[in-house]
Amino acid sequence: MQRRTFLTVTLLAATGVPARAATRGGTLVYGRQTDCIYLDPVHTAQNADIWVSLNLYDTLTQPTNDGKGVAPGLASSWEVSQDGKAMTFRLRPNLKFADGSPLTADDVKWSLERAANKATGGQFQFLLASITGVDAAGDGTVTLHLSHPDPAMLQALATFNAGIVPSKLIMAEPGATLDDKSKSFAQHPVGSGPFTLKSWGRNSEMVLTRNPHYWKQGADGQPLPYLDSVRYVIVPDDATRILKLKAGEIDAAEFIPYSRVAELKADPRLNMVLFPAAQVNYFTLNNRPTLKDGTKNPLNDVRVRQALNHATDKEALIQVVTYGIGTPEQSFMPMSTPLSYGTGPLYPYDMNKAKALLAQSEWAKGFEITLYTIAGNADDVAKATALQQMWAPLGVRLKVQQMESATRLAHYNGADFQMLTSLWTNDINDPNEIASLFCYYPTIQNRHSGWDDPVIDKLFEDSQQELDPARRAAQYKEIQERHFAAAPIIYGYEVPYPVAMAKKVKDFVQIPLGNNLFAGTYLSP
Amino acid sequence: MYLLTVLGHRVLQTMATVVFVAVLIFALMHMLPGDPAQAMLGDRGTTEAIAQLHHELGLDRPIPVQFWEFLRRILTLNLGESVAMRIPVTLLIADRLPNTLLLTAMAGVLALLIAVPLAFLAALRQGGWADAIIRGFSQLSLSMPVFYVGLILLITLAAGLRWFPVGGIGSGFVEDLYYLFLPSLTLALSFSAILLRNLRSSLVEVLHAEFVSFATAKGLRRRVVLGRHVLRNASISTVTLLGLHTSSLVGGAVITETVFGIPGVGRLMVDSIFSRDYAVVQGLTMVLCVLVSVVLLAVDALQALLDPRIST
Repeated sequence: MQRRTFLTVTLLAATGVPARAATRGGTLVYGRQTDCIYLDPVHTAQNADIWVSLNLYDTLTQPTNDGKGVAPGLASSWEVSQDGKAMTFRLRPNLKFADGSPLTADDVKWSLERAANKATGGQFQFLLASITGVDAAGDGTVTLHLSHPDPAMLQALATFNAGIVPSKLIMAEPGATLDDKSKSFAQHPVGSGPFTLKSWGRNSEMVLTRNPHYWKQGADGQPLPYLDSVRYVIVPDDATRILKLKAGEIDAAEFIPYSRVAELKADPRLNMVLFPAAQVNYFTLNNRPTLKDGTKNPLNDVRVRQALNHATDKEALIQVVTYGIGTPEQSFMPMSTPLSYGTGPLYPYDMNKAKALLAQSEWAKGFEITLYTIAGNADDVAKATALQQMWAPLGVRLKVQQMESATRLAHYNGADFQMLTSLWTNDINDPNEIASLFCYYPTIQNRHSGWDDPVIDKLFEDSQQELDPARRAAQYKEIQERHFAAAPIIYGYEVPYPVAMAKKVKDFVQIPLGNNLFAGTYLSP
Repeated sequence: MYLLTVLGHRVLQTMATVVFVAVLIFALMHMLPGDPAQAMLGDRGTTEAIAQLHHELGLDRPIPVQFWEFLRRILTLNLGESVAMRIPVTLLIADRLPNTLLLTAMAGVLALLIAVPLAFLAALRQGGWADAIIRGFSQLSLSMPVFYVGLILLITLAAGLRWFPVGGIGSGFVEDLYYLFLPSLTLALSFSAILLRNLRSSLVEVLHAEFVSFATAKGLRRRVVLGRHVLRNASISTVTLLGLHTSSLVGGAVITETVFGIPGVGRLMVDSIFSRDYAVVQGLTMVLCVLVSVVLLAVDALQALLDPRIST
């Protein structure tokens, strides 16, 4: 039943045609914009690594293709204790790593303890922070002990950093410390995902070959994956990547610029797919009463922020920046996030309302705002120009300053900014990651905006331990409503992942979190 | 003997330059806002995570200590480890430098192959229609941006006619030559225009010199006059230009490498600056600095050979 759901969703997402027998064999050549940097599941924060990770490292649970649920992975079933503080997973029988060595409960224990430990777990350790210990039993079960009931744990276990690694192989690597051994292992990783790394020419190409020991079966009753190999080719230039696809040198190309989606849709040889993404474009605002240089900040006034939101024509922004491909935000979180709540576009364009709101504030005569954009980013230029025009009737003068991204990041981390163009992508199929960064003040002062709502902080803390789905949904509804009312950001729009593929590529999936899933992909003859 | 002394001086000068560049690049990189820890953590790094990564990367140590560490490493020819990729910088550079060198060398050779015959043709037909066309060509290729030329070549010769692959790099030297032809041509076009204009005007000047009339009067064959007397004398400034521009050719390779998807040091440099990967930027700058110095040294030597007056 599980498999059936999986296949249907895959087919609908990728091609929209009913299921038919998959062909085995062949190499899929996939044009990427950027190369991986580091292939240890716990030691990365880069999308380029994260999006490949699940192909190499399988997890106890797996994300479903729609981005909302979890399906069994290395664990075929699980049970949660009465108090919610122990979770027992039953591993599938005869699991193996790609090198043929057995994958045991001890490997699961070792991997999850490394990932959940603050000292060794890397930047995404917080997703697994409630794990206090893991017991591995000889009968193929693994029990997680939690400090508190964790409603997001099943989703966290399907996330890249919970990938299971072969503990014996890592400990056999050269090096004095675990860090050194992990570093050495990451140069030639072995996991239990559908594929395994065959070769890697940095910034040139990465070849993944099929893992003959992968547990999941295809529609033909034989083990997945269907493909013999996936060859990632790194082509940073968008125009060149598209040319390579058109010339037939590659079978698929990611990050198609929005401006070219319509053109590629019209190409009869190609299949231009917009995969739903857990991704939002918005503007970060500094909500503090004064800026770093001591000047008074109009954005501290909620009426000013609401006015600016009403003065922002999201539909126009979508037309200008994404050529009509995006959809207006209905919540600060992408609508594909579980427990997202939205009843329609936030702050619909209404200049009269905007003017009325501004008139109530002490900034009725208008003011100047400085927006930091990323230098050389065409989308940012379009956004800034559009906002300048949209806000001019309010008497708001938008000053645009282009910055190289690392410099801008330093300004952001130091809360030394007034307004930024921003992009967010979820990494876990749970609202807790985005909520902890956007509206739970203790994490990073709500994206360094300085805005704080203690009621939300409390709601968030409660929701982190709430096992009752209905109550947790109610908590998240209130969080999102309060966020909306306070308008600590300029709400923007959601955009999909545009991937163009040759017609022969079937059932490739990019889930809303961005992960590329090749397990069920095949090439039609 | 005197030539050796001159070269010895130049080698010493080169070493001084390298040390100076080392200090400069360290200072510049550390003066830039942002650091590798922040760049790696992106916009979701907590203050705590940034501090922890700072510590792991040794960035919380005083700047003089970090500088001393850096100097000590280069003196032992150890360029350190990439912060983001966690592999030795020497390995990263060794992987990509050959591609960039081959690209630059091919571009240089192609530029000469285009520039020299055209310059001769233009100079000998000075004021004629051939001269006008050639000068027009050089004006055009000088004024077109590299990324634009690259794309035009890709669209027409690679994607359209399928004579060449659309970017990337081959496996093995011969295939590399094939893959790198279009990118080299892209770089060579604007470079050849500079060489062409310079060589043409030198040729025109030399063609009117008395020793050329004398050589012709002596009854030397035209080919000998042109080859031995005219080209040799006219090429001195062009050789200087060639040397000077080799370094900018490496710079131009950044764009070409991006457009054509070639894993070379140009792209490595830009990516590393953006991610504030200090070790890679510093290591790469050192290597490029030595390379450019060697090229300039070779140019000096070549000039001395072409014109004995230069070394005296």
